[in-house]
Amino acid sequence: MASIRDLRNRIKSVGSIRQITRAMEMVATTKLRRFQDKAVASRPYAQEIAGLVGRLAAALGDDVSDRPLFRPGAGTRVAVLLVTSDRGLCGAYNSNILRLLEQWRQSNPGVEADFWVYGRKGYQYLQRRSRPIERFLVDPVLEQVDYRAAARTSRYLVEAFTSGKYAKVLVFYTAFESVVRYVPTEVQLLPVASTIGAEKTAMAADALLEPDAATIFDRIVPRYLETRIYNALLESLTSEYASRRVSMKNATDAAKDIGNLLKKIYNRKRQENITKELLDIVGGAEAVK
Amino acid sequence: MAGTLTLRVITPERIALDTLVQSVRVPGADGSLGILPRHAPMVAALDTGLLHFHTADGEAVMFVSGGFAEVRGETLRVVTEAGERPDEIDEARAKEAEQRARERMAGTRPLGEGEAVDLARAELALRRALWRQRAVEYSSQ
Repeated sequence: MASIRDLRNRIKSVGSIRQITRAMEMVATTKLRRFQDKAVASRPYAQEIAGLVGRLAAALGDDVSDRPLFRPGAGTRVAVLLVTSDRGLCGAYNSNILRLLEQWRQSNPGVEADFWVYGRKGYQYLQRRSRPIERFLVDPVLEQVDYRAAARTSRYLVEAFTSGKYAKVLVFYTAFESVVRYVPTEVQLLPVASTIGAEKTAMAADALLEPDAATIFDRIVPRYLETRIYNALLESLTSEYASRRVSMKNATDAAKDIGNLLKKIYNRKRQENITKELLDIVGGAEAVK
Repeated sequence: MAGTLTLRVITPERIALDTLVQSVRVPGADGSLGILPRHAPMVAALDTGLLHFHTADGEAVMFVSGGFAEVRGETLRVVTEAGERPDEIDEARAKEAEQRARERMAGTRPLGEGEAVDLARAELALRRALWRQRAVEYSSQ
């Protein structure tokens, strides 16, 4: 049985854990909001670019599938961009995305993948299993990732794809659906899925194109890929902090419950001791009488 | 006046500008393009440079970096990677960037590990730095 002093120590340590997890919960809440705002701010740009791609594809007609970056790659390997977190204590965030990766590997046996990785957790995971890591993207740190960093990553992937080593480029990231729902997701970045064509919205037939549809189109596709990667990064970061906030809230609640339980036991024990002492005194007094 | 034109500059970080204008001049990839209200639908690739526009308050400029301009209806959308008003530009930083780019191009800047001289990118950086400075000069006149 724990002594009274042990109990007092445990109550104290549970209390300080609770303070820490509460602080982490609040930090996660602020950061969550920051990334959410960033994601919202980037939406008009992404929409304009996607809209332009669709309208230009319509102007180009059916030969879209023949443009560079639309044809399947010449290689056999697959390039994978994996987005995880730098730090733990964020619930099942990392294990969910890594599980999706394993599922993909199992359903595509024999397919060799090279990795581009965001987040130390994913990097360590791949390294432990000695999977080929092409690049660990740490500059700038994940949390400070901006559009330019996403554009740079996009450039790396396009270069890798056009080098002829890869058949396609996949992105594994966590899609943010709501503060309580984040879904590990796999999307194909390259070759650009011809689903773009599905969003075709006709451009005014007499629209002027400077210099011409094909040139503009080839220039806009890389921008489109950048917005996809930027969005994947922002959604992953938002999910990470949403997940961290929930797990820190659970930890805080659990600490509170344990604290209460310990306090109850502690009080009972204290009461017991007092009663025992009283009995001793009363007993002693009786004996003397 | 014949109609109005809304100018909206959209970047990945924000909507940098959303205003009614009387005329706009954009840095098209094949040369400067003037756009007035009631322009025909158009999509144009842009170069790095200055966006000149006339509003009711007078003339102003904005630095834009690549991207596209699209006229649809009564709106000119400039979709670009950077859209900065002259008062948002850090002139000292632009000068530093210019210096860095010139050193890279001249080959006098020590290279980091695994880094190769990328002339095309250095040149783009140089152009951005110069246009940023031009924007500041323009507004201080």
